[in-house]
Amino acid sequence: MIGTIFKGLGTTLRYLFRKPVTVEYPEVKRPVRERFRGRHQLKRFANGMERCIGCSLCAAACPADAILVVPAENDPAAPVSPGERYAARYEINMLRCIFCGYCEDACPTNAIVLEHQYELSFYDRRSSILTKEDLLVPPDKGHGEIPPILQQLNRRPSPPAQIDL
Amino acid sequence: MPNVTLVIDGQTVTVPAGTNIVDAARIAGIAIPVFCYHPKLKPVGMCRMCLVEVWTPKIDPATRQAVIGEDGRPVMTLMMGKLQPGCVTSVSDGMEVRTTTDRVRFAQKGQLEFLLTSHPLDCPVCDKGGECPLQNLTMQFGPSTSRFDYADKIHFEKPIRLGDLIYLDRERCILCSRCVRFQDDIAGDPVLGFDNRGRTWEIISKSDPPFDSKFSGNTTDICPVGALTTADFRFKARVWELRPTPSICPHCPVGCNISLDMRYDRLMRVMPRENDYVNEIWICDKGRFGMRFIESPERLRQPLIRKGDTLTPATWDEAIALIAEKLIAIRTHAGAAALGGLASPDLPNEDLYLFQKLFRQVLRSPNLDFCTGAPGEPAIIDLGATLGVGKGTNLSNLGAGTSVLVVGADPEEEAPLYVLRLRGIAARGGDLTIINPYPTKLDRTPARVIRPRAGAEAFVALALLKTLIEEELIAADFVTRRVQGFDELKMRLRNHSVASLCDAAGAPEDVVRSAAYAFAKADNGIIIYGRVALASGADLIDALADLALLTGHVGRPNNGVIPLIPGANARGALDMGVHPGAGKKRGLTAREMWAAAREGRLRGMIIAGMDPVRDNPAAAEALDALEFLVVQDIFLTETAQHADVVLPTASIAGREGTLTNAERRVQRFRQARIPEFNTPAGWDVAQRIARALIALGVKPTAPDGQGDGRGASRTLAKTAATTASSDQWDYAVAGDVADEIAATVHGYADTTYESLGLTRKPQWGRQPNEAIFYDGTSYENTEGVGVQIAAEADNPKATFTLRARVPPLFATNDAYPYTLLAAPRAYDGRAWSRDSKLLPRMVTPHLILNADDATALGIAPGGLVQIASEVGCAVLPAQIDRNLPRGLALMPDVDGAPLSRVQTGPLTRIAIMAHISETVGTR
Ligand code: SF4
Ligand code: SF4
Ligand code: SF4
Ligand code: SF4
Ligand code: FES
Repeated sequence: MIGTIFKGLGTTLRYLFRKPVTVEYPEVKRPVRERFRGRHQLKRFANGMERCIGCSLCAAACPADAILVVPAENDPAAPVSPGERYAARYEINMLRCIFCGYCEDACPTNAIVLEHQYELSFYDRRSSILTKEDLLVPPDKGHGEIPPILQQLNRRPSPPAQIDL
Repeated sequence: MPNVTLVIDGQTVTVPAGTNIVDAARIAGIAIPVFCYHPKLKPVGMCRMCLVEVWTPKIDPATRQAVIGEDGRPVMTLMMGKLQPGCVTSVSDGMEVRTTTDRVRFAQKGQLEFLLTSHPLDCPVCDKGGECPLQNLTMQFGPSTSRFDYADKIHFEKPIRLGDLIYLDRERCILCSRCVRFQDDIAGDPVLGFDNRGRTWEIISKSDPPFDSKFSGNTTDICPVGALTTADFRFKARVWELRPTPSICPHCPVGCNISLDMRYDRLMRVMPRENDYVNEIWICDKGRFGMRFIESPERLRQPLIRKGDTLTPATWDEAIALIAEKLIAIRTHAGAAALGGLASPDLPNEDLYLFQKLFRQVLRSPNLDFCTGAPGEPAIIDLGATLGVGKGTNLSNLGAGTSVLVVGADPEEEAPLYVLRLRGIAARGGDLTIINPYPTKLDRTPARVIRPRAGAEAFVALALLKTLIEEELIAADFVTRRVQGFDELKMRLRNHSVASLCDAAGAPEDVVRSAAYAFAKADNGIIIYGRVALASGADLIDALADLALLTGHVGRPNNGVIPLIPGANARGALDMGVHPGAGKKRGLTAREMWAAAREGRLRGMIIAGMDPVRDNPAAAEALDALEFLVVQDIFLTETAQHADVVLPTASIAGREGTLTNAERRVQRFRQARIPEFNTPAGWDVAQRIARALIALGVKPTAPDGQGDGRGASRTLAKTAATTASSDQWDYAVAGDVADEIAATVHGYADTTYESLGLTRKPQWGRQPNEAIFYDGTSYENTEGVGVQIAAEADNPKATFTLRARVPPLFATNDAYPYTLLAAPRAYDGRAWSRDSKLLPRMVTPHLILNADDATALGIAPGGLVQIASEVGCAVLPAQIDRNLPRGLALMPDVDGAPLSRVQTGPLTRIAIMAHISETVGTR
C-alpha cells in the first residue's frame, strides 16, 4: 500500500526533472512541421509581380466553397501579374476553410500556399473573410523568377501550367 | 429522299440518303468527335478529327454486283484503303462504319497531338475553359503527353481586336473556319477571311469598320476553342461559376431565347438558348451585348415626387397615395375620359394586361395606346391576329417549296434574326422576294428584288393580285370556301392592267409576274411586312392580306403573315388590349391624346416604360399642359422629367413574365436576380395603384372585353371564379396574372406558366451526345419552347373579306421634291444601349441621299444638309448611297434624329439643300 504511494510519487519526482512537452503559449510558439497547412498566403515573383492569375481554379477545387475570385484584365502598361489576367478580388472565408490544401494543389502558378500561421481568431464573422490585401505577401517577399516563356518579346502570353517553384 | 441503311459500330441505322457519317452516327446515338463540323454549317473537312473506318461492299467491276464471300456475306473493303473524314463522307447502302477501332483511336490521338503542337497552355486563363471542345476532346481522346518541344510553340501577340466586340487569340485558333463559314453562309456578312499560310495562317477581318456584322457574337459561341472571345465577357468569370437563367431578349419582335448568365446577382454574359422555332442557336449582337443597361448606375432606385421644379425622393406609400388621390380628383371633376395611358410595346404581357385592366376596369377610361404619337409614326395595321402564320410554323424547317415575300421591311434592323432565318430558307432552296423602296442587307440573299417607288408599294401588291387573277393562279377551293368579295375585287381591279400597276409602282413587270407565280405555286407562302410597309399604309396591308387569302396561304402551319411591329411585345400589347380600339368604346390614340392634352380635354396620364417626349417637342408641350402625370420606367427618361410622380420598376432581369413574339409565340422568361433596388415589376405597380384607388372608394366595373373584345364573353362561364376574385386585385406573383390572362384573353388559354412549362422535355431536348457539337455554343432549352397561339385563320370556319383597292398616287409636290422616309435602325442609341459595348456602333443622326441627287445639290459626303418640309426644317450631316433610288431621302430613326420636326406623316415631302454654315452667312 505504502509502497504503491511511493512508486507514484517517484514517477512524479522523475518527471520533475524531465524537459516539459508543453510550451508556454502564447509567449512561446511551437514550431510546426514543414508541410503544416495554416493560413494562406498569396505569393509573388521576385520582381514583385503577383503570381495569382485569377483563374478561379482554387475556388473550383475548394470543397468548402471558401474562396471567391473576381478576375479582371491586366493593363498591359502596368500589369499586376504576368499574362492577361489577374485577380481583382481574392477572398478566403477562414471560417469555412477546412485547411485541406486543395487550393494549393489546384493552383497552376503556385500562388496560393497554406503557410505556417495558425493563429486565426476573429472578433466577428465578417473579419474572418481575408481579402487579397490580407493574403498577399509584401513585394519584397517575392521569390522565383518569372519563367522566360512569360517574358519573351513584349508579348503577353499567359503563364503555362505549374511554372517553377 | 430515299433512305439508306448502314451499320455504325454494330448498330443498324436508317437515315436519308445524302446524310454524312457524323450525322448518321448522331442519329444512332454515337458521338464521333469533330472540330470543324457543325450541324448548322456546311461541312468542309478541315480538321480531320472525325476520321473513321468506312467499310463498303466490294463491287466486282465486271458485273457491278457486290462480291459475296465464302460465308455468304458481301466482302467488305476499307474505303480508299485508309480512314475517311466522317463529316464529308456521305452514307451509302450496306456501308459499315467503325468509330472505336485502334486505328481510329490512333488517328484521333495523333490529330489532337498535332492540334496541340502550337496550342498555348492557356486553359487557366482562357474564357472558353470549362466549356471548351478542345479541352474536352483532349481529355477523352487525346494523348496525355506531347512529344513536341514546348519551346517550339509558335507565339503570336496575344489578343488582337477583330472588331470592337470580338478579340482573336491566334495562338488558340485551330483554323477550323467555323467563324468564316458562319459569317459567309449563315449571317451573309462575309467579313472574315484567312491570311498567310503554314504556321502563320490566321483569321483576319476584311471589313471596315472591322468585323462589321450584327451577328458577330455567334462566332465566339461556335468557335471550338477560346480563340474568339467577346469584349463583353473577357475575364469576367469562369463558365462553371455562372448561373444561367432562361430569359427572352427584350429588344425586338423575334423574341430570341437567351440565357442571362449570372454570378451572384451580376450579369456576366448573355448566351443564346436553343429554340428551333425562334432563333435556332443564334442571337444578334443587340441581344448579346445590349443587356448591360440593367446594371446601369443611372437606374431609378426609388419613387420621385415633384416638389416645385424638382423631383424629390419619396416612399412608395406616399407616391401611390398621391397618385390615387390625384387620379380620383381628375376623374371627379373632368370625367374618366380625361385620363389616358401609354404603355411601351416592350413590356411583358403581365404588365400590359394589368395596365389596361387598371384603365378599363378601375379608372374606366378607354384611352390606351402603345404608340408614341410622333408625327411620323405609322398607324399600326395588324394582320397577325387574323392571318398570322399558322400554329406550328417553324421557319427553320422551310426550304424548297416555300415562297416568302418580304415587303417594306429591313429585317436586319427591325428584327435581326429574321435575316438568318430567311437566308436559311433561301439556302435550303426556298424562294424569296424582297419588295422595298431602298436597298437593305437582305438583298445579298439570293432573291428577287423589286424596288418600288417609296409610297407606291401598294401598287406592287396590287400588280401581284392582278397577276394572280389574270393567270388564274388563285387557290380556287380555298377562295370559294373562306373568302368573300372576290368578284368585287375583280371589279375594282378591272380597269387596271398588271403593266399599268407596275408602272405606277415603278417596278419591272416580268419580275412582279414571276414573284406572283412563285408565291402562288409554292406549297408554303409567308408574307413578312415591316416598318416601311406600315408607313405605306392600309392600302398596301389590305392588298397583302388579299394576296395571302387568294393564294390560300393562311390558316396552315408555315403559311400566313408575319407583321414586324416595332417593340418586343407589340403583339402582346395588341392582344392584351393596350390600344384604343380594343374595348367597346373607342379611346384616344397617342396622337389624339397629345392634341387632347393641349386642349385641356385630357388631364391625367400614366406612361409606362415609354419615352414619347424623346425627339418629339410636341409631346413635351402636351405633357406640360397636363394636370397630373405618372411615369413608370427604369430610367429617368426625358418623359419622366416632366412627371409629377416617377415610379421605378424592375428590369427584365429582376422579375418574371411572358412576351409574345411576331409569330405569336408566348414565351416565358425567368427572374435572374433579386429585383434591383427592390423595385417592383410593372404589373405590381399597376396593382398598387388599383388597390389604392379601390381603397378610396372607386368601384371597378366588370371586364369590358380585354384583348380584342372577343375573349371575355367567350370564356366568361369558365372563368367566373377567376374574375370574381381578381376584382380584389390580389395577385401575389406574375403567374397569377398569367392565369387571368389565360382565362380572359382570347387565344391565350394555353399560356399559363404551367402549360408553358409543359413544352419542356421530353418534347424538346438534345440527344445525349450532342455536347460534342454544341459544347460552349448555346444552352440547351430547359425552359420550353413557348406556346404559339392560334390566329383567327387557323379556325377552318373563319371567313375573310377581300379589301384591296387601288389608291390614288402619292401626291408629288414641286416645292418639296424629295420623299423622306424614316429608316429603322437596330443600333438606335436609345435607353437599352446604356453601358453597352455596342455604344461605338450606335448610329448618329444623318440623312442618306442618292449619289446623283447629292451631286446635283452640291452635297459632299459628311457635309451638312438642310431639309425643309411644310412643318419645319432641320440640319444634319449627309451620307451618300449610290444604290438609293433618286428622289428618296432616308433618315435613320435614331436617338436625336430631328424626325418629329419635319415629318408630316410616315411619308413626308421635303426639300433638300446644302447647308451654308451660319458663320459664313452672317459675314
Ligand atoms: S488557383 Fe492560383 S492563380 Fe488561380 S485564382 Fe487561385 S490562387 Fe490565383
Ligand atoms: S481554347 Fe480550350 S484548350 Fe485552348 S487554352 Fe482555351 S480552354 Fe484551353
Ligand atoms: S477563330 Fe475559332 S472558329 Fe475561327 S477558325 Fe479559329 S478556331 Fe475556328
Ligand atoms: S434578333 Fe431581336 S430578339 Fe433576337 S437577339 Fe436580336 S434583338 Fe434580340
Ligand atoms: S474534318 Fe470532319 S469534323 Fe473536321
